[in-house]
Amino acid sequence: MKIVVTVKLVPDPNAVRRIDPTTKRLVRAGLETALNPFDEYAIEAALQLKERLGADTTVTVFTMAPESMKESLRKALAMGADDAVMLSDPALEGSDVSVTAYAMAQALKKTGFDLILSGALSDDGNTGGVPGALAEYLGVPGLTNVRKIEEIGDGRIKAQRETDSGYQVVSGPLPALVTVTMAIGEPRYASLKGIMGAKKKTISTLSAADCGIDRPAGSDGAKMEVVAIAAPRAREKAKIVEAADGPSGAQAIFDFLRERKLV
Amino acid sequence: MRDVIIFVEHSGGQTRKVTFELAAEARRLADALGGKAHALVAGSGSAALAQQLQNHPLDKIFHTEDPDVDKFLLDPVVDYLEAAAKVTGPAVILVPNTMLGRDVAGRIAARLDAGLASDVTELRVENGRVQCIAPKLQGSTITTCTFKAGDYGVITVRPNAFAAQPQATGAQLVPLEKPAGKTYGMAVESDVEEASGEIGLEEAAVVVSGGRGLGGPEPFETLLKPLAEALGGAVGASRAAADAGWVPYSLQIGQTGKIVSPQLYIAVGISGAIQHKVGMQTAGTIVAINRDGTVPIGETADLLVVGDLFQIIPALTTLVQQAKAAHT
Repeated sequence: MKIVVTVKLVPDPNAVRRIDPTTKRLVRAGLETALNPFDEYAIEAALQLKERLGADTTVTVFTMAPESMKESLRKALAMGADDAVMLSDPALEGSDVSVTAYAMAQALKKTGFDLILSGALSDDGNTGGVPGALAEYLGVPGLTNVRKIEEIGDGRIKAQRETDSGYQVVSGPLPALVTVTMAIGEPRYASLKGIMGAKKKTISTLSAADCGIDRPAGSDGAKMEVVAIAAPRAREKAKIVEAADGPSGAQAIFDFLRERKLV
Repeated sequence: MRDVIIFVEHSGGQTRKVTFELAAEARRLADALGGKAHALVAGSGSAALAQQLQNHPLDKIFHTEDPDVDKFLLDPVVDYLEAAAKVTGPAVILVPNTMLGRDVAGRIAARLDAGLASDVTELRVENGRVQCIAPKLQGSTITTCTFKAGDYGVITVRPNAFAAQPQATGAQLVPLEKPAGKTYGMAVESDVEEASGEIGLEEAAVVVSGGRGLGGPEPFETLLKPLAEALGGAVGASRAAADAGWVPYSLQIGQTGKIVSPQLYIAVGISGAIQHKVGMQTAGTIVAINRDGTVPIGETADLLVVGDLFQIIPALTTLVQQAKAAHT
């Protein structure tokens, strides 16, 4: 089975991020790039499947990002993925959700897949729209928010997916796109052997033309435009009350809520 | 001129408050754009729900009871939304920013080759163009987006961001035909309810949320639930509590869980790391209870009470219950 894990390379989640007021894009200069933390769960899910299904299962990591970010993919390879493919093209810079999903779909049609895995959310944009749009452009079912893959094989998948109020058991044919939640299991650490081995693994690059991307891409093709950015309304600092005991703490809260007409 | 269509999320005809919020906002947008406001409701229970929606300021309510909508994941409902959009022509589609809503939005945007604006908390129309205002980068930046071409597209809207305004305007019920030539593969075999609360977390007016400070699963039941019930709200949790297995992930609030915007948010034993803050910082009033007065939640909260939550919460629950009893 050919598993492709789509990952997003995001600026270091622990760094302070800001938007350039002129370009209205994220300032990436000076920020380390890392795997979107949610996508590490997808890599974990893929590696679990590889262990379950045996040697003829391969795990390819796929990303759409500038080629300069290539080395950020080594971590995924060190965790145990077999190889990586990048869709890199200056023409794709400034792509929004729609263009990104379209371009990724074109590239994934080229690489081929039985199963696409990705994280349920991205750490920076937090739009959550790409997986749905990607499944649509690929014409495959989208099985989102999966917490456990119960069965896979013979061209079918059965999984538990989280819903707002609990979970569903869903089954259907492959190929499919699956997004996983953190309940799938903590991402493994790369072993020293894995880290050494990752250096020899292949990271290949595709251009927009290689994938037959024939419509306006990047910011030209984007459907959305950011017209303004602003700082959020500042909250006043909290009023701090030291509660000597339970009743006095409760009374302080109750009075505060009453003042604001919340009780 | 643009019409607006709202996607109605429901379970067997039971919908949530966000539907009525979207209906009111759709009306306002449609009026500003010189168009009409419509709703799409699909699946079992839709006929009754469509009638209920006639109490809201809509023009047409597209509906279908097609059982495939409940039997198969996502695809049928997206097909019906597409069918509704075919009737109206290019439209602005409003979808609740929920787990299902995000999936629907991504798919329908790709299907219609339209733009997608996410987690929008405010909508404006300037010179006939829709402006979508949304917090980004963990709430540190507020962006305003427009649809570049044609001015139609898909918008996911944060629950509790708009006020519902029930008003019967004689909305017409329009049954939809089953789209021809469709087959579906992803079958829903079973649906299990896990969260005990009847009120959806994202639409609750009050959320009482617990974190690491609770020390285990029991206090969620014995302390937080009674307080939430007394306040007419729902129970939530921090990532630490969900990761520890104390509560299901469906209760988790934060960047990796649900984003809530209630009138009142009570954070109990939650330190309030950025990951949690993203999920609740737009709440109207935030009260935190923590034994440490230096926790980051102090940056977000309106009131931070430093003390023992195990003593404060039961006492607070009693005060709220007494106030309610005196009121009725």
